[in-house]
Amino acid sequence: MVGKNKTIGNIFVYAFLFIAALFTLSPLVLALINSFKTNRELLVNVMSLPDELHFENYQRTFEKMNYLRSFLNTAFLAVLSVALIVLFSALAGWRLCRTKTKLSRFLLKLFIFSMLIPFSSIMIPLYKVTLQLKIKNSLVGLAFVYAGLGVSMAIFLYNGFVKNIPKEIEEAASIDGCSPLQTFFLVVFPMLKPITATICISNALWIWNDFLLPLIVISDNKKYTLLLSTNTLFGQYSSDWTAILSALILAALPVIIFYAFFQKKILKGIVDGSLKG
Amino acid sequence: MYGTTAMQQKKIKNLQLIIFCAPALIVYIIFKLYPAGSGFFYALTNWNGLNKTYDIVGFSNFVEILSDRYFWNSILFTMKYVIVFVLVANVVALTLAVAIESRPKARGFFRTIFYMPNMISMVIGGYMWMFIFTKALYYLADNHGFKWLDHSWIGDPNYSFIAIIIVSTWGTAGYLMIIYIAALQGVPDNVKEAAVVDGASPWQCFWRITFPLIRHALTICIFWTLNAGFQVFDVIYTLTGGGPGRATQSVAIHIYEEAFRGNIRYGYATAKSTVLFVIVLIVTAIQLKITSRKEQEW
Repeated sequence: MVGKNKTIGNIFVYAFLFIAALFTLSPLVLALINSFKTNRELLVNVMSLPDELHFENYQRTFEKMNYLRSFLNTAFLAVLSVALIVLFSALAGWRLCRTKTKLSRFLLKLFIFSMLIPFSSIMIPLYKVTLQLKIKNSLVGLAFVYAGLGVSMAIFLYNGFVKNIPKEIEEAASIDGCSPLQTFFLVVFPMLKPITATICISNALWIWNDFLLPLIVISDNKKYTLLLSTNTLFGQYSSDWTAILSALILAALPVIIFYAFFQKKILKGIVDGSLKG
Repeated sequence: MYGTTAMQQKKIKNLQLIIFCAPALIVYIIFKLYPAGSGFFYALTNWNGLNKTYDIVGFSNFVEILSDRYFWNSILFTMKYVIVFVLVANVVALTLAVAIESRPKARGFFRTIFYMPNMISMVIGGYMWMFIFTKALYYLADNHGFKWLDHSWIGDPNYSFIAIIIVSTWGTAGYLMIIYIAALQGVPDNVKEAAVVDGASPWQCFWRITFPLIRHALTICIFWTLNAGFQVFDVIYTLTGGGPGRATQSVAIHIYEEAFRGNIRYGYATAKSTVLFVIVLIVTAIQLKITSRKEQEW
């Protein structure tokens, strides 16, 4: 009796998981199969597989959304922003942890308290700052904005990580005549590698998928990120679903590939950043 | 070290600290603290975003907000959205986590799938769902008899609210699930086994043993969903754009529209941003107080 109950329970749980998985994947799968159809075929049957693969949909949107340029813009933005966040936060987080003064406690609080401020509360004054500094429509400028918004969390994580690595190695290095900056780059930074990887991945994903900030700061379509191009394309081709769906697949492709390669690290990063932080 | 007093050493340490913090501090002040601070200031002005000059008008923006029906509607909509979203997303995520954890062999496979939507921007996810809501569901209703799917999912505010909740949950449940799974794995097996030996049903076992032990994960996830919920933008922007009319405008959408579309009144819009900030602060403080007390009780 117990055995039978268990099998029924098993079937029930698996059925639930499979239905949930189907539901989760349905937008991606439907977008993928319909992106290869002609518009006429799509209107006749949304659920069927395409009769033949119309790659010209992709060819068309690849050009229409300036895919290569948008991709490179996004990649440049993400890489530069992450580099700035890592460098700035590692320097600050390490020193904040190693200095035990009133000033260090104050600075740490100053960096962390603003994590509660919602972005929509600062977006208008932030927009004005980008106008005043003449960095509107500048990807480099936008990377510095992301650094300003991202350092809080990264400093918090670095600070926590440094606590658990022994001081003695750094002290030995400084006795051997290393300047603080040399000590940082030659001795400390290599030891921070695990948390640096976590910070890189989570920030890269955040910036890659962020929409609202580029939407208000970038208006020059030569500087568009992937999401801005996708959004514009959606506005221009509002009923041409094969064009839109192929654009969506193209826009989702980089992160899906990234996910395939770094899945373990990404999932571990979430746990490290939330439960242990 | 001879000749340097403790005071001087401390000064040197602090100076070093400032030098190392300087790069982070500069970008942080320019792009986060200054905007946050100056937002409070602009809220007291009639600046329209274009003119170089503006007057300080005191609290008149805030007085005007009191009678701004559209703003309060967007606050109400956001509140409603936050409550439903926090509940639905956490229940779904916890259910998925428990189901996955009970079947260790299939864990990796399902975890990979359920987390996938979190990788994709909600802008892309939102447009993909738009296709489902405006094309696929009609097709299913017309050709396969799923008549209950035949609604104006985007055009009718009641159904578009459901659509927005579905898409937000789809996009975040996987993230929460990962946190819940990690917490569930931290529950020691022998405690659960002892309860089973004592004759507890799986249901009792979960609520009496497991659930109290994963409360910290619950706190984190509720905190996270509250924060994300109050800032909801991408999903609504792509699905309904706040419409029909202003029926599904969240505060973030409302402020964006106020500031960057149509009538540009930055002073007035920053006053609204300030109100939003205060609301978020109060809600977060209350939530942290409640959950931290509960955690101690258990």
